[in-house]
Amino acid sequence: MSGQQQPKPQHSWGMAIDLDRCTGCQACVAACHAENNLSLSDAESAAKGRAMHWIRVDRYYEGEFPDVRVKYRPVLCQQCDEAPCEPVCPVYATYHNDEGLNVQVYNRCVGTRYCGNNCPYSVRFFNWFDPVWAAPLQLQHNPDVSIREGGVMEKCTFCLQRINRAKDDARTEGRPMKDGDVQTACVQSCPAEAMVFGDLNDPDSRVSQMAKSGRATQLLGELGTKPRVFYLERAK
Amino acid sequence: MTAATTIPYQQVRDDLWRPLAGASKRYTLTLALLCAVALWGLIAWGYQIHKGIGVAGIRRPVFWGFYLVDFVFWIGISHAGTLISAILRLTDANWRKPVTRAAEAITAFALMIGGMFPLIHLGRVWLFYWLFPYPNSRLLWPNFRSPLMWDVTAISTYLTGSLIFLYLPLIPDVAQLAEHATGLRLRLYRVMAMGWSGSDREWHALERAMKLMAGIILAVAVSVHSVVAWDFAMAITPMWHSTIFAPYFVVGAIFSGLAGLIVALNIIRKTMHLERYLTPHHFGNLAKLLLLMSLLWLYFTFAEHLTVWYGNEPKEMNVFNARVRGHFSPEFWVMVFVNFVVPFVLLGIKRLRSITTATIASIGVLIGMWLERYLIIIPPLSLPRLAAAAGRYSPSWVEISITVATFASMGAMYLVFSKLFPIVSVWEFEADEEEEE
Amino acid sequence: MSLYLTGTFRDKREAIQAIEQLKANGYGPEDLTVFSDEPVELPRGVLDRKSYMSLVVVSGAVVFFLLVVAFVYYSQYNYPLVTGGMPIFSFWPTGVVFYEITMLGAILTTLGWFVWESGLLRRDKGVPVPVIEPEAICLRVRCAAQQYEATAAVLERAGAKNVAKLEKAA
Repeated sequence: MSGQQQPKPQHSWGMAIDLDRCTGCQACVAACHAENNLSLSDAESAAKGRAMHWIRVDRYYEGEFPDVRVKYRPVLCQQCDEAPCEPVCPVYATYHNDEGLNVQVYNRCVGTRYCGNNCPYSVRFFNWFDPVWAAPLQLQHNPDVSIREGGVMEKCTFCLQRINRAKDDARTEGRPMKDGDVQTACVQSCPAEAMVFGDLNDPDSRVSQMAKSGRATQLLGELGTKPRVFYLERAK
Repeated sequence: MTAATTIPYQQVRDDLWRPLAGASKRYTLTLALLCAVALWGLIAWGYQIHKGIGVAGIRRPVFWGFYLVDFVFWIGISHAGTLISAILRLTDANWRKPVTRAAEAITAFALMIGGMFPLIHLGRVWLFYWLFPYPNSRLLWPNFRSPLMWDVTAISTYLTGSLIFLYLPLIPDVAQLAEHATGLRLRLYRVMAMGWSGSDREWHALERAMKLMAGIILAVAVSVHSVVAWDFAMAITPMWHSTIFAPYFVVGAIFSGLAGLIVALNIIRKTMHLERYLTPHHFGNLAKLLLLMSLLWLYFTFAEHLTVWYGNEPKEMNVFNARVRGHFSPEFWVMVFVNFVVPFVLLGIKRLRSITTATIASIGVLIGMWLERYLIIIPPLSLPRLAAAAGRYSPSWVEISITVATFASMGAMYLVFSKLFPIVSVWEFEADEEEEE
Repeated sequence: MSLYLTGTFRDKREAIQAIEQLKANGYGPEDLTVFSDEPVELPRGVLDRKSYMSLVVVSGAVVFFLLVVAFVYYSQYNYPLVTGGMPIFSFWPTGVVFYEITMLGAILTTLGWFVWESGLLRRDKGVPVPVIEPEAICLRVRCAAQQYEATAAVLERAGAKNVAKLEKAA
């Protein structure tokens, strides 16, 4: 349609999560909060459904005691290639960049929240108020990540600041990026090493290998959103 | 029509102009009360802008709440004028003549109110102008592929069109009023009349313009409510992504608009003593139309729900069950009762059909159609595809205040309008009388 | 030197008779104007005036359509962002915008052409306008000074009252 020859993008970021390893400990949730300056909620606003977790662990219980089985699934923004949230934003506050990320432009968002409604994974979160951190938590902010003001939509960015930092480091050192250079906060913090992040364009990267696994599935893949997160189902 | 029912010319003038002069105590008190409520709504909105939109009850996953319900509701009410004025003009139905201006006024004001809600529900409303395409230093443009941009263009067009549609037939009346007015009113009427002298050239141009506008406004009205429907239908949320939404919303709009019109006309009739102009014949016709729209509404509702139920798709059935049997079932069955059962009984049985019962049915329909919008928006959002993200929505005082304030401001604007301009179009009524001789 | 005279009719048929007679005497639609409080339906052929309104409105709509398509095309490509894997410019999603702006063009053109064709705001200051009596049809004729007597006679014979020269209101 555009007719121009775009140079092949260098990277195509993706993530794989091995549900067989995941223990549901939610270290990823805590790490994401710390890394991305997520606003905190008190008990009242959490009860009102205002709590923000860019990555969350969904728990589903099956069966009756004592035969209860629990399923965990960490759900984060799937960075869909055909994201339903992108075309509906009237001001282009969310679009797809050429490295496959669904980027959210905080400064452009006017807060219509259509994207939040259209996301089938419910991974988008809205800043209902200007965020407030009780002292001394405001000293803990990550300087690489902006603070979002009230009225702006946000979601998991695949730790874009870490991707950019790794790119900068590689360029400074005059070498190409290699697998493992970029670790998102959640991937870094997982004690079970259930999560892997990397470049899907690199056939030797761990994430590409895991994506080819026989256990690899995609969440709500039938909707045609083309997500970039691969879930390796538990072995039966 | 016998000569006995024809009202003498001077009498018509007197009756239709009398409400414009002076202000009774009842009028002033009502207007003051409505303005106070509207002001309270404005204060609530100001509070929301100051503190943050979190003072409303909306939350994840119900990102749209009362404000969107009100938005769709008021845009729906605006179809009153379109139906009466445009469709009946195009079909030369003369009984519409005393009713057209009241209907057109409802349209214009309902649109103004409805058009406020895309602003009220914004997270950063002070940046609302980013939704308009204007050259800027950052070289940004809005995304015309978004249904919300379709909303912006559709509502702007419809508002412009309906204001012009209200204004054009007002010109001859305003020219007449200018001959007898003084002071500020005289200046207002003179400016609005644009030098109207009643020449045949002016009349022909006006009639041609009205015919064209009737056709245009009808086409625009259908598209506007389809566009509003597509705000929901374009999303892949279960029970939103349905092709029936566009015609469903248009039918619902005409239905609710008609109900609003009947209520407004009854109030006008009583308070301005226009019983000879807004006759049982008019209300009978409007009541029949309301009954027809009620059946049409029922048909669409049934078709939508039957399709979902038979298809048995799990995510959609989740929402369906919540609506029909579960958490939202009280609202759902009240809606069916007031939207179908009450109009069917009160207006379908000839003996029961009267101005009073038509008004009762209409008030019920207004409640029912508001509930219908609520049931379209909130249940599908509360029960998203991933069940872990489900959540309940309840409105806060801010949303309730603003909702109530919109009804008050509608009433207030209407009161002011009826004090400045004759609510029954004098020249159209008199022309109608002459034709019937 | 032309002057204006008016006659007031109570009956539409008398007015038509007068107009037909004046047309036979050589007056055209530019010289004759009918004033009334409500629109008077004259049979076809009596006092027809050409109207271009439909043509103008359609043209206005087409112009707006072309403008909006060009603009949206330009703006979408000027700021090309990929959303949802969709093309940068796509006719059907933006088709609604095209439709609405086309109708807006039709609406604005209707209003504008109405003001033009009706002669409102354009009215020549020198031409006097009669004060219309309620329920009456007032016929205004522009005639040459020497034709005044003959023209007034035609009007009176047709049944007009208050046949008089029309002075410009002070």
